[in-house]
Amino acid sequence: MNEELDSQLSAMFDDELAPAECELLARRLSRDEPLKARWGRYAIIGAVIRAERGVRLNAPLAGRVNAVLLAEPALAAHAAPRDRTSMRLRWWQPLAGSAVAAGVAAVSILWLRTHSPAADAQLAARVASPAAVSPAPAGAAAQGDSYIVPLPKPAGVMVPSTELANYVVAHSMFSPPVARRNLLSAFMTSEPAPAGTDEPQSDVKTIAQ
Amino acid sequence: MLRPSRSSGRAAGLALAWAVAGAAAAEEPALKHIPDLTPTQWLERMDQALTARNYDGTFSHWQGGRVEMLRIIHRVQDGTVSERLASLDGSGREFIRTGASLACYLPDRRTVLVEERPAEESLVGFPSVNDQTASLYDIREVGHMRLNRRETHVITVSPKDEYRYGYRLWIDDSTAMPLKSQLADAHGQVIEQIVFASLTLSSRIPDTAFRPEISTAGFRWLHNDAAPHLQPGSAGLAWSAISLPPGFRMTVRSAQTLPGSAGPVDHLVFTDGFASVSVFVERQSVPSGQPPVPESATVGSSSAFSTVVDGHKITAVGEVPPATVRFIASQVRAQGVASAGR
Repeated sequence: MNEELDSQLSAMFDDELAPAECELLARRLSRDEPLKARWGRYAIIGAVIRAERGVRLNAPLAGRVNAVLLAEPALAAHAAPRDRTSMRLRWWQPLAGSAVAAGVAAVSILWLRTHSPAADAQLAARVASPAAVSPAPAGAAAQGDSYIVPLPKPAGVMVPSTELANYVVAHSMFSPPVARRNLLSAFMTSEPAPAGTDEPQSDVKTIAQ
Repeated sequence: MLRPSRSSGRAAGLALAWAVAGAAAAEEPALKHIPDLTPTQWLERMDQALTARNYDGTFSHWQGGRVEMLRIIHRVQDGTVSERLASLDGSGREFIRTGASLACYLPDRRTVLVEERPAEESLVGFPSVNDQTASLYDIREVGHMRLNRRETHVITVSPKDEYRYGYRLWIDDSTAMPLKSQLADAHGQVIEQIVFASLTLSSRIPDTAFRPEISTAGFRWLHNDAAPHLQPGSAGLAWSAISLPPGFRMTVRSAQTLPGSAGPVDHLVFTDGFASVSVFVERQSVPSGQPPVPESATVGSSSAFSTVVDGHKITAVGEVPPATVRFIASQVRAQGVASAGR
């Protein structure tokens, strides 16, 4: 990693790089794995420094984060907690590899730069207060116009089965535009199956509710 | 790896073209600021923009602490919708829709799912936001702010009960494209976020933009039966829900064959005008001595729940909380058939 490139990354992270240079660097990031990894470390460290509540690290990434934090002892006390894999999602197979980390790292900086929890804190409309599933009184949302800083939901480290993929794709054709985009995006970004995984005849496992 | 498309002189104004850091964007000259729209009208404009415009953009998708970059290309040409959604740095999966044909490339499973839908279903109409929707959600504009050097209207859609999710949408003032969107659960916590890093609105997108990047050599191809199955009931049964969450109603009931599926699957769609839930019904062979056990799953912010009713597997999928799909799936029955074991 040469010093100039390092400097550019730092400037990009701090929003001090000229837009044209940003674009060039972003393109390079998309194809340069070592650079992508370094970019990710900037993102993580930056998030920890800022103590951004929205930043949670998925399990595969967490190991890499720990390594980074060991190298940055001053930050270790602020390391983000690990996410826990939900046990209820047996329709997906657990991910054996850690191929996702690079992808997460590469983009998280973009999110950090475009997502300001402080700004969101002013905009995140609070909806009805939590309770067991039952309709809330009409007008509950009107009471909930205070704003809170969003927190992420724990990630499921899972892979969709072919059967569920079929359902998702078929359903997507009947979803409103924004919801449809969200649904398909989530499907695209669910973690990949381990190499060599064969689709079983029926990989739908049942689990008591 | 997909590359962001370059601007060309044929693009209509090249309305939006950001670098990652938000480089200056050129306005599309044909679109002007439209003042004094209600929040509902902004949502309608946004839906119209998402479904009727040609665009090519990259965006970050954040969910559960994971962030990944995707590219979306959307084109409407001579009444035919083409769309391509691809994961740029993760699974490598791609979804490509060309008219009535849907193809889902799953390189991690070395599988391609191909579904041919009946032509009449190739352009699905969406329920518009109406008075009923307004009774289920509190829709308001909560701000007007700059995002990536663009002026946006921030619209919140807050549910009035816990059967649905809420949205926060940063809608571009001049193009009505949602430059950023957040999905919030009943606690007001963001569970999914999409932010565009680059977006180009073009008058023309070539056919080559809708070809997969990945090599499919050695992949397993699963096709469905191209013939339409419009009569309801895989076994001559008419399935419906005996009870639904407030505001939901059934808008579609058809039968179709899914890729790799042994037989037709009944497909019911329920919507409240903003959220939708699909219910799939297919015959289920349960080994003797093993009582059917319900199961649940999530895909990002969407939920799925499966149970067995009268020898049929009922699976509900939708961009709603888990309890909602569970509720709907548990209410599905075949008309005129007494439910066994309940």
